[in-house]
Amino acid sequence: MTDETSSAGSPGPAETHEEGWIDPTERNWFRFSIVLLVAFAVAVGVAGFALGFQVPGDEARVDPRTVADEAPWSDRIDNPVREVAPGEYVVYMIARQFRYEPNTITVPEGSTITFYVTSIDVQHGLKIQDTNINLQIVPGQVSKLTTTLDKAGTYPFICHEFCGLGHAGMFGTLTVEAGEG
Amino acid sequence: MAVTAERVTLRTPGETGLWSWITTVDHKRIGLLYGVTAFFFFFVGGLEALLVRVQLAQPNGEVLSAAAYNQLFTMHGLTMVFLVIMPIAAAFTNYFLPILIGARDVAFPRLNAFSYWLFLFSGIMIYTSFFVGGAPDGAWVGYSPLATQLPEVVRMDYWAIGLNLLGVASIASSANFIATIFTMRAPGMTMLRMPVFVWMALVVAFLLIFSLPPVAIGLFQLFFDRNFGALFYEGAAGGDPLLWQHLFWLFGHPEVYVLILPAMGIVSEILPVFSRKPLFGYEFVVFSGAAIGFVGFGVWSHHMFTSGMGPVAEAGFGIATMIIAVPTGVKIFNWIGTTWGGRLRFSTPMLFSLGFIAMFVIGGLSGVTHAIVPADTQQHDSYYVVAHFHYVLFGGAVFGYVAGVYYWFPKWTGRMLHEGWGKVHFWLMLIGFNLTFAPMHILGLNGMPRRTYRYGEGLGWDLWNLVATVGAFVIGIAFLLFLWNIIWARKHGEIAGNDPWDGRTLEWTIPSPPPVHNFDEVPVVHSLDDFWHKKYAEDEEGRLVEMATVSGGTLVDTGGEGEGEVHEEHHDIHMPSPSYYPALSSLGIVITGYGLVYLSWGWAAVAVGAMVTLWGLFGWSLEPITREEHA
Repeated sequence: MTDETSSAGSPGPAETHEEGWIDPTERNWFRFSIVLLVAFAVAVGVAGFALGFQVPGDEARVDPRTVADEAPWSDRIDNPVREVAPGEYVVYMIARQFRYEPNTITVPEGSTITFYVTSIDVQHGLKIQDTNINLQIVPGQVSKLTTTLDKAGTYPFICHEFCGLGHAGMFGTLTVEAGEG
Repeated sequence: MAVTAERVTLRTPGETGLWSWITTVDHKRIGLLYGVTAFFFFFVGGLEALLVRVQLAQPNGEVLSAAAYNQLFTMHGLTMVFLVIMPIAAAFTNYFLPILIGARDVAFPRLNAFSYWLFLFSGIMIYTSFFVGGAPDGAWVGYSPLATQLPEVVRMDYWAIGLNLLGVASIASSANFIATIFTMRAPGMTMLRMPVFVWMALVVAFLLIFSLPPVAIGLFQLFFDRNFGALFYEGAAGGDPLLWQHLFWLFGHPEVYVLILPAMGIVSEILPVFSRKPLFGYEFVVFSGAAIGFVGFGVWSHHMFTSGMGPVAEAGFGIATMIIAVPTGVKIFNWIGTTWGGRLRFSTPMLFSLGFIAMFVIGGLSGVTHAIVPADTQQHDSYYVVAHFHYVLFGGAVFGYVAGVYYWFPKWTGRMLHEGWGKVHFWLMLIGFNLTFAPMHILGLNGMPRRTYRYGEGLGWDLWNLVATVGAFVIGIAFLLFLWNIIWARKHGEIAGNDPWDGRTLEWTIPSPPPVHNFDEVPVVHSLDDFWHKKYAEDEEGRLVEMATVSGGTLVDTGGEGEGEVHEEHHDIHMPSPSYYPALSSLGIVITGYGLVYLSWGWAAVAVGAMVTLWGLFGWSLEPITREEHA
């Protein structure tokens, strides 16, 4: 009916309300927003505590000039995957312009694999498709993430932090073999 | 209109000629300069984007080398953020902020000119790098130590020095706008009677003043790392590469709000006019903007969720990022509330404003998915992020600024843009935009990383990349049409008159284009949307009744119930005299910048530039306040 409806706080000769009056529609939107916020916060809590979500960890500090020659990274090529317990593996990885060492990793189905990754030159990224592994690889910092691989198949991993001319060619493959264990 | 511009102005700056533009201190002319420059850079940045899209149209693209691609995407980002969206916002703010608050100019007109010239020269300086060995190629975020590597190539020095100079220009204009808003409002223009656009400009000015220093320090540290063997970001020597990311994003995230808030302000001006209703919940919109300004400083680390900050920091920044969605959501609901039940007119500015709301909602919601740490760590640095920020900065900011151009073009030129072509432009842009950027959500979730100059076949990325490239060309066509519309309308557009849209705010009370002094008589403001209330009243049922006190669109003070009526005598209006010293000072600063880029032999340029700057600043301080001869 009215062309010039009043709104909360608008001046002029519109209908008047007492101080602090909020339009019911507006109040409902506030309630809805609060519900949404609580839902999001609960989702984060569930992800963190019930589902065991982990964020990439700043595990240790190393010297990027020498780390490639020091244990445990020094035999990363010859011994890329180490079994530390039945079904639990550890990978020590070095990222450099423009490759991963190691860049082919093979583990059996159902294994839990922990990455300790660092860079010896600039920043790189490690994103393993279809897993929760996505981290920045910072020179001087060891980043750690753990994932469990229940499905056999090939999981390509790529560098997604811009690292220079060869950035697009920096990738590797994680293979999960079926039928063992 | 009894008093003409000639009679009330003692020193009208030269109306024509290059020199009149170089020496101008008129906020309207400086606004136009900002706008034209930004529009030019928009086409340059758009061309870079098209080249990038051509390269990515098919797997194993052969159009560009990795080296060329890296320069192009870096310069595309840098250009669009610093040389297009920030200056187009500055153009609107320069032109309309003083008029909207009833002032005749900004507080420091020569500082205003200085900001423009420093911005222009810095932009040109960054672009000259293309011709002398290559443009910056370390991404616009310049993550070190990649950006500190390769010191024999000066590309990233261009980037570091250029961005710092642009920052100086922004800080100067921000201080200017704050002083203008706080000291030069017309009688009766209280803070809560200011148009929302002015409020947003105020928030943006504070954001810039507080966010630019961290990145300025960071850029100097980076420059020192590159040129003087400093080790701020050198992990090998105990420096911290992540420090750069913190400093950069401590600027970079408030910067996002710097880009979007003025567009929100423009949309908040347009929606009430084309809905013929006041803005729904004015105070909520204003204080939401201010809240965004405050919370905007507490969310920067959501750009770094995969960098190993640990769960406590990530939870904190995740929650802060969700909280900032609240004031943003409040604004969206208020815009929808403004149109609700209004008598809508779907003119071009309104279409672009509605497009802004729709596209910004998509971008805002995908932004909330970044607040959720588990989701963000999956999306980090994938094309999903590219899709998100283009929905915010193109679907949001650019739609908002284009809406502003259609809305205010009549005030700049006295002529209307063509409505029919405007509508074609809108639909082409909306379709092209969604074709380009919606597929990037899918690409990103399928794992396509950012900033790769090519990708292999068989990864499932072929189709959507092709679609995105087609969409990019549709956007290109839309903007060529826009350019043609502007060129056509400057000569042949319909004559606009003072108030073509039946507006609500003070700019529509004065002629189009406005006289140099804006207002023959400083207006006295009695309420929010003052001009509207002078044109219309309401009857008992709330219907609009046109009032008879408006003649020819000129505001006639009816001597209402307002306090402190000031009827000015028609004495001569002193406008600031033109000066070339601001341009000279900024030229000197940029010469110094060139010297710093080529440090090994550039000391002479540093010295010359410093002397030119000093010459400019001395001349600036010592020149007579008014020009000798009276025009």
